[in-house]
Amino acid sequence: MTSTEKHHDHAQDHVAHLREQHLMLDPLPRGQMNDMVMESMHTTSWKFWVVFGILSVIVAVFLFGAWGYMIANGLGVAGVNRPSYWGIFLVNTVFWIGISHAGTFISAILRVFKAEFRRPFTRAAELMTTFGLVQAGFSIFMHMGRVWLSYWLMPIPNQRGLWPNFHSPLSWDLLAITTYLLSSTMYLFLPLIPDLAMARDRTPDGTWQKTFYRVLALGFRGTEGEWTHLRNAMNIFAFAIIPVMFSVHTIVSWDFAAATRPGWNSTIFGPYFVVGALHSGMGAVAMVLAVVQSRMKHMKYFIRGEHFEALGMLMLLVSMAWAYFFFNDYMVQWYGGDKWTQQLLHFHEGGPLGWMWFAMLVFNVVIPWATLWNKKWRSNPWLLFGVGLLINVGMWFERYIIIPISLTINRMPFTWRMYTPGVEVFLGIGTVAFFILLYMGASRLIPLIPVWEVQEGQMAHSLKTYGRETVVTVSELE
Amino acid sequence: MTDNFSRRDFLKLASVGAATTAILTGCGPASRYVTREPYTKMPEYTYNGQSTYYATTCRECAAGCGLVVRTMQGRAIKVEGNKNHPVNLGKTCVRGQATLHGLYNPDRVQDPAKQAKRGSRDFSSMDWDAATAVVADALKNTDPAGVAFLMGMAPDHLFDLVSDLAKAIGAPAPIRFGALGMFEARATLGKAVESLFGQAAMPFFDMGKSDLVFSFGANFLETWLSPVAFTRGFANMRRGGGHGRGTLVHFEPRMSQTASKADLWIPITPGTEGLVALAIGRIAAEARGGSLPTAFADVDVEAIAKASGVSAEKLDELGKLFASANAALAIPGGAALAHSNGLETAEAVLALNALVGGLGRAGGVFLAPLAPMQTEFSRPANMAEMADFVEKLKSGKVKTLFIHGVNPVFELPKSLGFEDALKSVQTVISFATFPDETAMQADYVFPDHHGLESWGYQRVAAGSSQSALSGAQPVVSPYYNTRATADVLLAAAASAGGVLAQALPFKDEVEFIQSKIVALVSESDGYFNAPEINTFTAYFQQYGGWWKTVDELSTPSGDALGKTIKVGEAKFAGEGEFYFHPFVSPVLGEAGANKPWLQEIPDPTTTAMWSSWVEIHPKTAEELGVDNDDVVRIVSEAGTVEAVVYKYPAIRLDTIAMPFGQGHTAYGRYAEGRGSNPADLFGEQVNGAGDLAFAGMRIKVEKTGKKYPLSRLESRMGVYGEALGEEH
Amino acid sequence: MTTELKIPEFSANFAESGQQGKWGMAIDMDICTGCQACVAACAMENNVPFVGEADSGYGRSMHWIRTERFWEGEFPEIKMTPYQPMLCQQCGHAPCEPVCPAFATVHSQSEALNLQVYNRCVGTRYCANNCPYQVRSFNWRDFERPEPLPNQFNPDVTVRRRGVMEKCTFCIQRIHRAEDQAKSEGREIADGEFTTACAQACPADAIVFGRIDDPESAVSKLARGSRGFHMLEELGTLPSVTYLKAG
Repeated sequence: MTSTEKHHDHAQDHVAHLREQHLMLDPLPRGQMNDMVMESMHTTSWKFWVVFGILSVIVAVFLFGAWGYMIANGLGVAGVNRPSYWGIFLVNTVFWIGISHAGTFISAILRVFKAEFRRPFTRAAELMTTFGLVQAGFSIFMHMGRVWLSYWLMPIPNQRGLWPNFHSPLSWDLLAITTYLLSSTMYLFLPLIPDLAMARDRTPDGTWQKTFYRVLALGFRGTEGEWTHLRNAMNIFAFAIIPVMFSVHTIVSWDFAAATRPGWNSTIFGPYFVVGALHSGMGAVAMVLAVVQSRMKHMKYFIRGEHFEALGMLMLLVSMAWAYFFFNDYMVQWYGGDKWTQQLLHFHEGGPLGWMWFAMLVFNVVIPWATLWNKKWRSNPWLLFGVGLLINVGMWFERYIIIPISLTINRMPFTWRMYTPGVEVFLGIGTVAFFILLYMGASRLIPLIPVWEVQEGQMAHSLKTYGRETVVTVSELE
Repeated sequence: MTDNFSRRDFLKLASVGAATTAILTGCGPASRYVTREPYTKMPEYTYNGQSTYYATTCRECAAGCGLVVRTMQGRAIKVEGNKNHPVNLGKTCVRGQATLHGLYNPDRVQDPAKQAKRGSRDFSSMDWDAATAVVADALKNTDPAGVAFLMGMAPDHLFDLVSDLAKAIGAPAPIRFGALGMFEARATLGKAVESLFGQAAMPFFDMGKSDLVFSFGANFLETWLSPVAFTRGFANMRRGGGHGRGTLVHFEPRMSQTASKADLWIPITPGTEGLVALAIGRIAAEARGGSLPTAFADVDVEAIAKASGVSAEKLDELGKLFASANAALAIPGGAALAHSNGLETAEAVLALNALVGGLGRAGGVFLAPLAPMQTEFSRPANMAEMADFVEKLKSGKVKTLFIHGVNPVFELPKSLGFEDALKSVQTVISFATFPDETAMQADYVFPDHHGLESWGYQRVAAGSSQSALSGAQPVVSPYYNTRATADVLLAAAASAGGVLAQALPFKDEVEFIQSKIVALVSESDGYFNAPEINTFTAYFQQYGGWWKTVDELSTPSGDALGKTIKVGEAKFAGEGEFYFHPFVSPVLGEAGANKPWLQEIPDPTTTAMWSSWVEIHPKTAEELGVDNDDVVRIVSEAGTVEAVVYKYPAIRLDTIAMPFGQGHTAYGRYAEGRGSNPADLFGEQVNGAGDLAFAGMRIKVEKTGKKYPLSRLESRMGVYGEALGEEH
Repeated sequence: MTTELKIPEFSANFAESGQQGKWGMAIDMDICTGCQACVAACAMENNVPFVGEADSGYGRSMHWIRTERFWEGEFPEIKMTPYQPMLCQQCGHAPCEPVCPAFATVHSQSEALNLQVYNRCVGTRYCANNCPYQVRSFNWRDFERPEPLPNQFNPDVTVRRRGVMEKCTFCIQRIHRAEDQAKSEGREIADGEFTTACAQACPADAIVFGRIDDPESAVSKLARGSRGFHMLEELGTLPSVTYLKAG
């Protein structure tokens, strides 16, 4: 073999390696790819339906059944008490809003910054935003004593001339979450249109799915004008939704930061909460992707190690940011020297649930830092799944520490009391089940992979050989 | 006057001038027949939102506080104090406030009934005619010597009526008893006053004008004698009219609510209160100079310091403090007197007052005036008399026993065997308003009205410097098919005929009451004057009673210091390693357990609710290996009870305390099966005055391994630092 | 036909200023004996439900007023801190008010009261979280009051259902009754003409209620005294309740 041949082989190996590594460099014919996506939606094993059935029962009993029971009997069936008036309800609310942040972050911010690795999983992340917000909505409405009057919180003109109190962070909360839910749903929908059109064209006539896709695709045919409008709309939304995303969790943090409670009135809560939300959200995206990749047909083509690797890097970055904010928050509170806050800080780490405080730090900082620095490790879907799970547990603990545990200690030691969760545990499990259920349902109905976006990326990427070197080039499409 | 009046007319008469809230209303004698009418048939003068106020007397304990009850459309809404009443001057205690939860208690006895078998709770309702016939039959056909009446502690009109009735048929005089009297050691107080001052009387402690109070076990802020009056006195003492802020020193093995308000709490060895009083007396006498009075002559201060656990220096300090005060006052009471040496302790403490010239001096000790229509000091039965009575029941000499206003099965020491003794009585008739333990052991329950539905009067025995007769009238018409016991007895007497009908020729309760209070019409120095009985009765009801406008306190006479007071060593029954210190629950009293809101009122010192507990010092608990919420078994010579541990930091290490008031086995849903009753532990040992020496007990504490979460208002984390994760 | 909707201030000024008194309370901790009469009187006056053993032990009791006490030292030198009746402080600058999204707790500037509007309450419990005094109680259930106990209900006071926050109102029904009376007679309310249920019952007269805009009223005089202090004054809540130090 000549050296040229050798080199040629070598170069071919390199190209093959690049193709294997990078989805963008591994194009398939468009028709085939479309079929793969359609097939991934339609290939459903019996196991799917068993899980689906079990989750449906859990949702019916734990979420709606238990909620109905609680509405009928009052919040006494939950574990909330004086002084822990909020308990797990608000923990779950903040948790789900946190989860929902990742979707926007990945699809909007990465789109704006043209991070190419985002392409195959923007939709999977965006779905989490919408479904997570649904759970957050459930959690916050559940905690209301008279949820049947919750419309009073909406600024609806009424004969009494009564408006909600715009001084209350809760009013802003409601508006922010509603805005976020609406805008993220639209932002989920816009990039979905071409894929819905694709699905429409590949669904036999006379099925209800055909009608479903036809209606939702809004008659998209793929003309140049349609694409231009769609791109413009998506661009506007991508930019507009980023401040909404940051504002939502900042406003959620005001629920706490604006209050007079020791441990709550901390000025850094805004960014701290946003970073915490991204932390848990990234973890959740990693978990979802690992499951989707292993369970759905053809997904190993679309989702590859490079994506997990990139996600892992993001997670490590966010974990570091979180650690900084945690440290900052702790330091400032400790240095403030207020005796009740001191007492609370002692209680966090030394109280009966001190293990939770340590577990939070281990799960949120130690484990991500110890594992994600390694490129090989962080390319492993199941390792990332595990780390993502632990981060989510850790972030849930963080909210548990901020809400029920911090509520235990106040300025009236006569009223301090531990909180023992009641029916809200089932309600929490119900929201998790409902989230998964919605996700599973969506995975059967809408393409989880934004095919057009992948194809667009693949068109833009190409391998060019300059002299002996093969390099990746990306052309500007938009 | 004999016409039946509807409630409408009744209220019309009653509410003259009721437009402003401060007006008290009463009613003429004609309006005694009240019928309840539905909301739809509202009296025409009743405006929506307009209340009617009725003055009456609180029946939650025997203190006789005056109440004004706010009613609205025939419902009692709120209890307020009667501002003119000499006992409470418009104030009420926690039990008085909750009396409405007795009135509208869901577990009242609703009809007269016969019980198939005692204790079976198988009641069959009967009508009042049949009930009256049963009573008449019992009065007529029982040998008078075989009729016995056991009544509540309050010296009220019913007691007068029953006394007259007993006298007429030649039956033994009715007996008054109440657990509060037992815990207060009333008989001991009376006896001590008699032996020191030569005259049996209730002492009156003028706390409000005193500047230094030494209280030896008297829980005067809780349930003792007349707590509302004493609380007022205490507040005035603290405000310090003239002398500056008064000081309270309290001697008790456990920090009670009263002790918690003391400037100095002395956790004294149980049974040495009298000795300490003597030591203080001696030191004070020395400090004052002059010759040492006989009473304190042979007092060995060093020995007393050793026995009582109060150091000689402390005694010295206390003695000098007592001697130097402008108006020092020493009060004996409660558990301090419930020892074998209790009578002598009471004498020693009372003698302290004599030493500092406190007899008949403002801020000192007086003799309480006799109530109107009272000729001599009378007191409820002491434990010795109750023991005799139980013996009499056991002997089978009593054929018919009438019980009203007391719950002896619950309140008497179990060891006395009252429940057992009832078996030897042919017929037991209870007039209980509530289905209490004693009613469950009766053959018949003929429910009396609740106190707020009743007529009556009650003599004020303590708490008032004026001679006072507290008046009661129904503030609402009876809610259930109950009937005034007085009316039942009068009707029975009438139908029995003979001497009975002659002795009690009254048509009804109100006529009987009038026949008694008519004696006051001619009195000139009363709160109001009336030319004749009908007007007098109207005023009597309107103002909530009759009392003199001037103090009638008398100065104790006799040479209290001239006699040697020999306080012996207290004897303790039982073998255990701990002293036992029972106390009346300040919230529940003796009969509050069936009122749900009282159950949820936190105990002042422990903040415990809805159950009973035993107070153990944390160090002792650690030694015993028990913790909060552990159930322990308390074993005395006479019995055992189980209760939850409350680690109480302000109790002697060798003493275990437990509240009285819970542990009912009947008495309605809110009381039954809740907590335990320390009376089950009491023996029969009495002091020199015949009062039960309930504190003269040693007990054992055993672990049971059970747990029971005690409901508390306080935070164990915040108050005791439990589970806070840091050193305090 | 258009209606102009105005967003009211959370410190809504409902009554004409100067028409009514400003109300305040002074509590003398030196003479409070912790007897709980105020607690019972409050419950009876204001239709406060009892919650039962399990709930009351779990921090769900509904007392609008409670007496707090702590311990200092070790036996035998142990002392109980003076009983401190703790009730809504009717803050002039109340942390509970701005956080309610439904305007269920609002300020009456003219009466210096924190009003709690049960009908408006949707039960977010934010106000209770933000109350530094922890004096708000929430209706965790429809607490059962079996017949005939409801006969005792005070018709001047709303009976609250489950899911509603409640708290001490300074017996606002009594305030309004007295105000109406005084107004109909064309006069000012006299000091001591009426009082709250707790102050009325208090056997020691440790609780004194009255107008704090009248410098001659009993409560004003007490509050001005050298023993007076406000609870958690450093938070700037401007409480209307003045405590008098013991000793």
